[in-house]
Amino acid sequence: MFRKVLIANRGEIAVRLIRALRELGIGSVAVYSDADRKALHVRLADEAAHVGASPASESYLRLDRILDAARGHGADAIHPGYGFLSENAEFAAACADQGFVFVGPSAQAIRSLGSKTEARRLAKQVGVPVVPGTEEPATHIDDARRVARQLGYPVMLKAAAGGGGKGMRRVDSEQELESAVRDAASEAQRAFGSDEIYLEKLIVNPRHIEIQLIGDTHGNIIHLGERECSMQRRHQKVLEECPSPLLSEKPELREQMGEAAVKLARAAGYVNAGTAEFLADANGRFYFLEMNTRLQVEHPVTEVVTGRDLVHLQLRAAAGEPLGIRQSDVRWRGAAIECRIYAEDPDHGFFPSPGRIVQLTEPAGPGVRLDSGVYQGWDVPLDYDPLLAKLTVHAPERTAAIARTLRAIEEYAITGVTTNLTFFRDLLRDEAFVAGHLHTGFLDEFMARRPRHPPDSRLDHLAAAVAAVHTLDTAPSRVEPASVRSSCWLHEGRRFMLR
Amino acid sequence: MKWHVTVDTRVVEVDLTALPDLQEVEPGVYSALLEGRSYQIRIAHVRGGHAVDIAGQRLLVDATDPHRAPPRRRHGQEGRTNITASMPGKVIRVLANAGDAVKAGQGVVVVEAMKMQNEVKAPHAGRVAAVRAIAGGTVAAGDVLMTIDHE
Repeated sequence: MFRKVLIANRGEIAVRLIRALRELGIGSVAVYSDADRKALHVRLADEAAHVGASPASESYLRLDRILDAARGHGADAIHPGYGFLSENAEFAAACADQGFVFVGPSAQAIRSLGSKTEARRLAKQVGVPVVPGTEEPATHIDDARRVARQLGYPVMLKAAAGGGGKGMRRVDSEQELESAVRDAASEAQRAFGSDEIYLEKLIVNPRHIEIQLIGDTHGNIIHLGERECSMQRRHQKVLEECPSPLLSEKPELREQMGEAAVKLARAAGYVNAGTAEFLADANGRFYFLEMNTRLQVEHPVTEVVTGRDLVHLQLRAAAGEPLGIRQSDVRWRGAAIECRIYAEDPDHGFFPSPGRIVQLTEPAGPGVRLDSGVYQGWDVPLDYDPLLAKLTVHAPERTAAIARTLRAIEEYAITGVTTNLTFFRDLLRDEAFVAGHLHTGFLDEFMARRPRHPPDSRLDHLAAAVAAVHTLDTAPSRVEPASVRSSCWLHEGRRFMLR
Repeated sequence: MKWHVTVDTRVVEVDLTALPDLQEVEPGVYSALLEGRSYQIRIAHVRGGHAVDIAGQRLLVDATDPHRAPPRRRHGQEGRTNITASMPGKVIRVLANAGDAVKAGQGVVVVEAMKMQNEVKAPHAGRVAAVRAIAGGTVAAGDVLMTIDHE
């Protein structure tokens, strides 16, 4: 096992990794930018190294400085976390070249499975279903018409060169096809300098379900089940859960998807943690989308239902040890839900809200796990993504998990920055959510029907009273009239403490 | 003594001699007992008053001591509007120059925070009197980005 591991990341995931290292008796080295000198991960790590200015491009994305820090602190391995350099094959290769173990798959596996087209080719080769579509561009209308008839409407047009929605068109019938191809091609030409368009079958209201994989260097590769990640906004996941509610109708799905994911990973010679993402339709048909060659943000969901620590397993695999778990050893117990707590304002288009955390009360009690990267009094920097913490709950089944999540959200309070906690309170009470009728377009529909809370005169009065009392208390050098205070005991107590 | 406190857009009268049982249990956190019910209420300074979190809602509350109310200042001069940053961030682009005519709703400055860009829009039509925002610079919430004259 390693002696000391450098964590090439920040925020809650760096804290999560430091915790695992400490549990295994391994030293931890944090890295930080100018903005993060006082960050929680720097406080908690055994050692810390400054790697540059606040913008990520000048610090957390600087391979050279991170490798220098690992050398300077005598680390023997580097854990990249998620985001930043975690899926950068060049970084994985540089770690290996310079004598550090990269806690993740090989540079070669990142390259081949990290490329969508390459992963799709491999999936087809080993018989894992992918979303039906063209491999060759079908920019000419005759080709497009022929392919669309084969696939069946609705179809999706996509720019071969790009992403981010540019050059994408949904086409519901052949009458719409010609103009849609023309528009998509010209949009792709403007955005990417190539007018090549390909066609894919459109999966209507799909669920986004992913399979957690873990493999070692001894040829063992197993799956740890699924996570339902259909709750997304602008392709950013907001809430994840296990089991997927679809499993209540299609219990065989876990094994089928798990087997498909393992087959793919085995074909690629995959080692360490990875996630195979799928789309699933209402009939339980599933299609491989892409492979994430890293630890996922939402990994705690899998950890609480399987009772396995993915970071421990990652470190073990990276150190060349066998996993020590067979597929048949993996059991799933109860239901887990994770909420991503972001510093963003759900009432104003989810715009980010950096700033100082003035007051923080964290939830606790049975079945509650909190992976947080913040503390009271800390300034949330504006340079990075707005994820503050992940709240994961575990309960015997989904209904109890929803109730427990609501209870924990009600205990959770963060002032100074605006968070999406109020959004979760509404979502967790939504009938369609409770019924488990999830799909990737769910949150857009939910936001349109999200309830507005009518003013409540009792709450207004309490809020006004607190604001008045607080204003009096915080006003400088004001003599407090005794009659104003509600409690003479409080007043006495304060005088006593001031002595 | 009675205060008139604004809660969101509503005006609430508070009699300081007849308050509910309010205890500050942590800095900025109050426990209130009212008609046998227990409430936890959190208060933090924000621009324009206090944000008060109560029963899962965030209310914007402006309480001013009637005895020490500061003279009311107008938001900019007559016939002139200051466009301010609603959140701290980095100025990515300035889309209008001094002297430019702008339409209501036209984007004038792009501010980025936490990987998200927000286009700040002109609240009404007018002519740009002054540009304070500088591309590449950082701004705090409430900072004036641009001043627009009514036409």
